[in-house]
Amino acid sequence: MTNPILIAGGGPAGLAASHALSCLGFKSILVEKEDRLGGAPILSGYAKLVPSGEWARDAIGGMVERAMNDPLIDVRLNTTVTSFSGESGRFSAGLSDGSGADTGAAILCTGFTHFDPVNKPEWGFGTFEDVVTTTQVEQMISSGQGVRCPSDQRKPKRVAILLCVGSRDRQIGREWCSKICCTVSANIAMEIREELPDCHVYIYYMDIRTFGLYETKYYWKSQEEFKIKYIKARIAEVTSDGERLIVKGEDTLVKRPITIPFDMVVHAIGMDPNTDNRSISSVFGVTLEPNGYVDQLSVYGTVGATSRPGVFVAGSAKGPETIDDSIAQGHAAAVAALAAANPAAETA
Amino acid sequence: MPIHEQSLIRPENLTTHEEKIIDGIDVSGHWSTFIESRVVTDYNEQMEDEIAALPGGEFIHRCWQCGSCTNSCTVNAVNPEFNPRFWIYLIRMGIESELIRDKDIIWQCVSCNKCTYACPRDVYPEGVMKATSHWLELKGHTPQSPSAIFDEVCTDQIVDTGKIEDGRTLRRFMQKTGQSLLQDWIVAMIKQLVSHLPVSLLAKMGLSTLIAPRTSGWSGARRALKRYIEEQQTEQQMAVNPVVAGEEKH
Repeated sequence: MTNPILIAGGGPAGLAASHALSCLGFKSILVEKEDRLGGAPILSGYAKLVPSGEWARDAIGGMVERAMNDPLIDVRLNTTVTSFSGESGRFSAGLSDGSGADTGAAILCTGFTHFDPVNKPEWGFGTFEDVVTTTQVEQMISSGQGVRCPSDQRKPKRVAILLCVGSRDRQIGREWCSKICCTVSANIAMEIREELPDCHVYIYYMDIRTFGLYETKYYWKSQEEFKIKYIKARIAEVTSDGERLIVKGEDTLVKRPITIPFDMVVHAIGMDPNTDNRSISSVFGVTLEPNGYVDQLSVYGTVGATSRPGVFVAGSAKGPETIDDSIAQGHAAAVAALAAANPAAETA
Repeated sequence: MPIHEQSLIRPENLTTHEEKIIDGIDVSGHWSTFIESRVVTDYNEQMEDEIAALPGGEFIHRCWQCGSCTNSCTVNAVNPEFNPRFWIYLIRMGIESELIRDKDIIWQCVSCNKCTYACPRDVYPEGVMKATSHWLELKGHTPQSPSAIFDEVCTDQIVDTGKIEDGRTLRRFMQKTGQSLLQDWIVAMIKQLVSHLPVSLLAKMGLSTLIAPRTSGWSGARRALKRYIEEQQTEQQMAVNPVVAGEEKH
C-alpha cells in the first residue's frame, strides 16, 4: 500500500487534490496553517464566485465539509510542514505539531497572498477610509451588510474601481497580470449596481482581460445590462477635497486630465506570491521562479512537477490562478503525485 | 485628423491682457498669456441618459470605443473631424462643452449605416448620430435645419389633409425659411409649366392649390396622428428636460 500523499494547503487546489486521491481510494494528509479549511475564498470572505455565481461559503464550504467528513483525508489544522526529507516515493515529513509522517509524494497548494495596497500610497489606501479593496467589498456583500462607505456608512453614489493594483507594475516589482481581477471587478461592479441601482460605477483600466467566456458573461454584461462605464486611464493619485475622494489621472481617449469626485474607490488588488514562499522553498527544497512563485518544471510532461522529483504544485502557488483552474490542477497534481508515490504503477 | 493629433492648446482657450500688472509687475501683452484649464472635473451622468432616451440612442452604453464606426464612416472619409466614436465617448462621460463644439458637423451623418454593420457591439452608431442631432436641436444648441423644416411642412400637410400639395409645400417652405418666392428658378419653372402643360391639368393644379382637398374620411386618421405626435413630443421633452416637461404635464 502506498504511503499517504502530503498536501500542503487547504484551499480549492488542496481540497480538490485530497478529494481526488480519496476517490481513487488513497489516503492523504491535508496540512493547513490556519484554523479552518477553504483557503482565500473562505478566509477572506468572498461573496459570489466567478463564474458559477454561487456563494463562496456554499461552493467552497461544500468542499470543506466533504474533506472534513472523509475518513481517507487526515486534516491537520493550525499546522505547517517544518521538514521534508527523503526522495520520491519515500519522503519523511516533520510537522509543526511535533508529529511526523511518512509520505510518498507532496503537493504544494500553498496559494497566494493578496497584494497590500499600502504599497501604492498614491492611491490613498490606508490614508482615506473610503478607499477599499475588492476583498473588502466582497466582505461587505458576503456579510449581508451591503456596500457602504466605511467612513460614515452612507450608500455610495459613485464608485471607482481601479484595476491592476499590485499587478503589471514594475515600480513595485510586480510584472505579472493577476488574471482574475478584471473579471472579479466586473462582477463586483454588477453586484454594486444590483444593490444600489442609483450608484454609478466606473472602472479605470489599462486593458480589460476578462478572458475566454468571461467576455460576454462579465465584460459585455456589465456594460450592456448594468451600464458600468469603462475608462481607459491609469489613475495618478487619489486625494480628497475633505468631503469626497478625488480621482486624478488622464482620460487617454480624450487626452484630457481628469479630477473626478467619488464616494468610494475600490482597489482591484492582485495576487502576490505567498509571503511564506521562501520558507516553503527551503523546507520542500523546490526552486521559485523569478517572481517568487513556486517553479513549475514541466508544463506538458508531468502536470505540476516542481524542481524536486515527487513534489508537485497546484493552484495559485505557481502563479495567479482562478478557483476553477486551481481545482482542476489539484486533481491533475493528485494523479501525478500518485504515480510518483507508487513507482510500481509506472512500471506495471 | 484623428483626435489625438489635434493640438492640445486651442486658440480660444488662450487669453492675454493688453494692459496687466500683477503684484506691481507689468505683464502686458503676451506676458500675461493664460491657458484655460482642460481638466475634466466631473462626469455629467444625465447626458447619456437623455440621448439614450431619444429614438436611435438606446444602445449607446454598449460602446467600448474600438473605433469601427469612425473607420467605416462615409463622412469621416471626407471630413476627418466627423468622428462618431469620439462623440459617443463625450456623451457617455457627459463632456457637453466638447460635444457642442462639433454641433455643426454631427448632423452631417448621411445614414449610410456602414457603421451599423461594422459595430461589434450593436451600438447602432447611425441611430446615435440621429439621436444626438435631435438632442442638440431639442436643447436649442442648433437651429432647426432646412431639411427638418421641409419635413415639417410636408408632415403638417399630411396630418391635416392626408395629401401633399406641391404648390403649398413650396410656398410654406420658402416662407418659413425666409426666402422670397420670386426666385429665378421658380419663375422659370412656372413659365415652363404654363407653356407646356395641358390647360385641364393646369386648372386642376390651380384648384388644388387654392382649396387644398382632403382625403375622404380623414378626420379620424388626423386625430390619431395628432395624438401620437403629441405623445412622442412629450416623451422626448421628458427625456431631455424631465423637470420642466413633468411640471407642464401636471
